[in-house]
Amino acid sequence: MQTECVECGAVITVSEDVMQGEILACSDCGAELEVIELEPLTLDLAPMEMEDWGE
Amino acid sequence: MSDLLIELVHRFSPSRQEGPAVEYLVDWMESRGFSSHVDQAGNAVGMRGPADASYTLMMLGHIDTVPGELPVHVDQGWLYGRGSVDAKGSLCAFAEAAAAVDIPPDWRVVVAGAVEEEAPTSKGAHHIREQFSPDLCIIGEPSGADRVTLGYKGHLLLDYTLSRPITHTSAPDPSVGARGAAFWQTVLAWADEQNRGSTRQFDHVSPQLRAINTSSDGLSDTVHLVIGFRLPPHLAPDDITAAVAGLAEPDAELHAYSKTNAYLGDKNNTLVRGMLTAIRSTGTRPGFVLKGGTSDMNVVGARWPCPIVAYGPGDSHLDHTPNERLNLDEYDRAKTVLQHVIEHLPPASAI
Repeated sequence: MQTECVECGAVITVSEDVMQGEILACSDCGAELEVIELEPLTLDLAPMEMEDWGE
Repeated sequence: MSDLLIELVHRFSPSRQEGPAVEYLVDWMESRGFSSHVDQAGNAVGMRGPADASYTLMMLGHIDTVPGELPVHVDQGWLYGRGSVDAKGSLCAFAEAAAAVDIPPDWRVVVAGAVEEEAPTSKGAHHIREQFSPDLCIIGEPSGADRVTLGYKGHLLLDYTLSRPITHTSAPDPSVGARGAAFWQTVLAWADEQNRGSTRQFDHVSPQLRAINTSSDGLSDTVHLVIGFRLPPHLAPDDITAAVAGLAEPDAELHAYSKTNAYLGDKNNTLVRGMLTAIRSTGTRPGFVLKGGTSDMNVVGARWPCPIVAYGPGDSHLDHTPNERLNLDEYDRAKTVLQHVIEHLPPASAI
């Protein structure tokens, strides 16, 4: 399956057994992308990684 | 509004005084179809699903709080009270979510309210980690309902003691107090060197001077420092101890304790995928967070090889403060997320 990077538009090839919630990396721009729908295959930017103090 | 949450926050339960809160939670779970009991460590433990299920989701919260009882009340959608955020909100959301849904085939869900998380002993989590070997684990701590905590830094405390024969204060040698202060500056410089080139705070070793005192018995002067370290995943407590020993004066005494390794989980596993999908199902975009503190994730993560995240409603900046309060809408949203996670636990073929 193929789709586009939502950050740079590059073509991304995704394996047939990709899972919802899976995080992929764009080989062109390096952006982390989350699979948010399988049918149709839809990507979004993966969650930002924040830092925080406390428990 | 959650009766369980309000009743549990009403039962003030600082570490080692958790009994009434534990009894209440065990009774609540038993009345909602859990098989529940107080275990040998004093933890509240409830299970739904067959005891011999192939797979176990552990939902490990803590039922103790820090000291400092606060008046419990609800005002304009916020629950005020000690433990509302840290971390009875998370624990109650676990119990209510597990009570509300059908447990998928092949799975059992264990909800545990551990004792003494806020004490250096972490007694409850140490007991739980020997009793179970789960396939997935969610730790109950306030990440916020839209975020998933992937890791906690490690921790170490070091006592540094240095004595010198008393000399007249007009003597040119530095006092022991000055020697202690100089040692602290050396530790800071060492940490800066370790952290060079790394922008992520989670990867930094972070020393904190907890105390510095001098004393005298008439023959010798002594300086005593207590230094706390927050540790990144690549540095273990013994690594820090060895490095700091190399910075100390040869006759200084060093004592290391409260040793806890950092824990950092994978962001691409069955549990994280389930959490992200569940948060998105509520119409919000999820986030990841790395925490500077420690939690029971550090305790069980050292033993359990399964995917582990921490999750729960609330703002961890309110932990341990006199302003501790939890937004009840956020609490309900966290319950919805957790219900989704349980209902969509993966089939055996996907584990």
